[in-house]
Amino acid sequence: MNATEKITFWYGCNAVRHGDIIHGAIALLEAVGVEVTPAGGAGYCCGTSKDANLRAAEGMGQRTVKKFNAHGTGKVVSWCPSCYRHMNGFMGEYTQPQFELSHFTQLLHARRDVLAQKLTRRVERKVMLHRHFGFHEVDVNPLVEDLLRLVPGITLLEGGTAAPGHMCSALSRVPASLKDVTRGLCDDAAACGADTVATVFHSCQRLLCGLEASEPFRVVNYVSLLTESMGLTFADDYKAWKLAGSEDEVIAKVGEERIAAIGENLFRESILPELMRRPSK
Amino acid sequence: MSDKPQTLVEHLQAFIDDTLTRCTRCGKCYEACPMTKYGEGLQNADAKHVVSGVIDWLQQKPGNAQSVSWLKVCTQSAKCIDACPKGINAMKMVRVAQMSAMGSLGVPAEQAALSGRDAKDFFRVINAFSQTQMTSQQVQKWQR
Repeated sequence: MNATEKITFWYGCNAVRHGDIIHGAIALLEAVGVEVTPAGGAGYCCGTSKDANLRAAEGMGQRTVKKFNAHGTGKVVSWCPSCYRHMNGFMGEYTQPQFELSHFTQLLHARRDVLAQKLTRRVERKVMLHRHFGFHEVDVNPLVEDLLRLVPGITLLEGGTAAPGHMCSALSRVPASLKDVTRGLCDDAAACGADTVATVFHSCQRLLCGLEASEPFRVVNYVSLLTESMGLTFADDYKAWKLAGSEDEVIAKVGEERIAAIGENLFRESILPELMRRPSK
Repeated sequence: MSDKPQTLVEHLQAFIDDTLTRCTRCGKCYEACPMTKYGEGLQNADAKHVVSGVIDWLQQKPGNAQSVSWLKVCTQSAKCIDACPKGINAMKMVRVAQMSAMGSLGVPAEQAALSGRDAKDFFRVINAFSQTQMTSQQVQKWQR
């Protein structure tokens, strides 16, 4: 890739809970000289959750591919492994994509020499990477480990058992497995002396960040560690809300204005219960 | 004009046809799966029997109970892909069998064994979180 390359950054649907990750990832791409067109949310859904309604899935796939084609960048860089998998294995099979698909970690890793020059601030942490082995299309774990090694101050610890699935949301359909993985993660972090568990994907951050309420380590996405070293801070609101404690405290932190914008009923029925849930181990 | 399938279902049917041609029901994909210990009735299950049930689902016929248990615990770990001696993407095979077990490919609704994966209010929740994490201009520009 040349220094002025234009890409579409496809951040997916569920990652919108973590604006810090999305904004941080965009900042990293721009830092390595890429011109970014961000795209995500419901309007760019891949349809992977619509296996029970293939007509809907097909419509979503066709619409999203057409929109990417219209961007004219010729390159779509995916954040979400589910989106990546669905584009490669399903959407791309019956549509006419006019773009190459790659993963965020691949692009950043390919430009790590440029990135390293921007990582000037020390981040004093003992980090254990939370890994999954299911994203067979892209071997993201060594790429992320290489990126974290660029950060001055970080000690990347050996240890930690790679979990099944491609990210934690896949395990949430089998609660006993998510519980086992969570317990194992806590044991591994204690055994290797980690003060920080770095997540690779957004759904791991979503499902594990609540551990900070009870465990002696922080749960941080690797993007946040990289941007911290660049001197950039993007607040992890989702984690702050998760850790708020009582319903009243969550409501106070989210704020009346945002709750009103979301809609009181939707907030109370779907969002508040999610924010009150803690990881089980 | 491309000779690619024009619809998702056409693609799935082509995938199913290819899988049915190549799969020998050897059970290696099942044996490689790290999730079987979580499946009801899968302790000491016969791998060939489970995979035969999966193949039934691909043929739009209800598969055996143990195949349903396996479909329920698949978390896309991908270990089955390398295990297949015939080079079948077994993870995709299981995913397509899940679609069939949801009634998406012709199995009558009353014989469907799995429910859909999309959560209640999925897109409304996505839109709501977007509003909390992005400016209205960003939502307009990035997500429409």
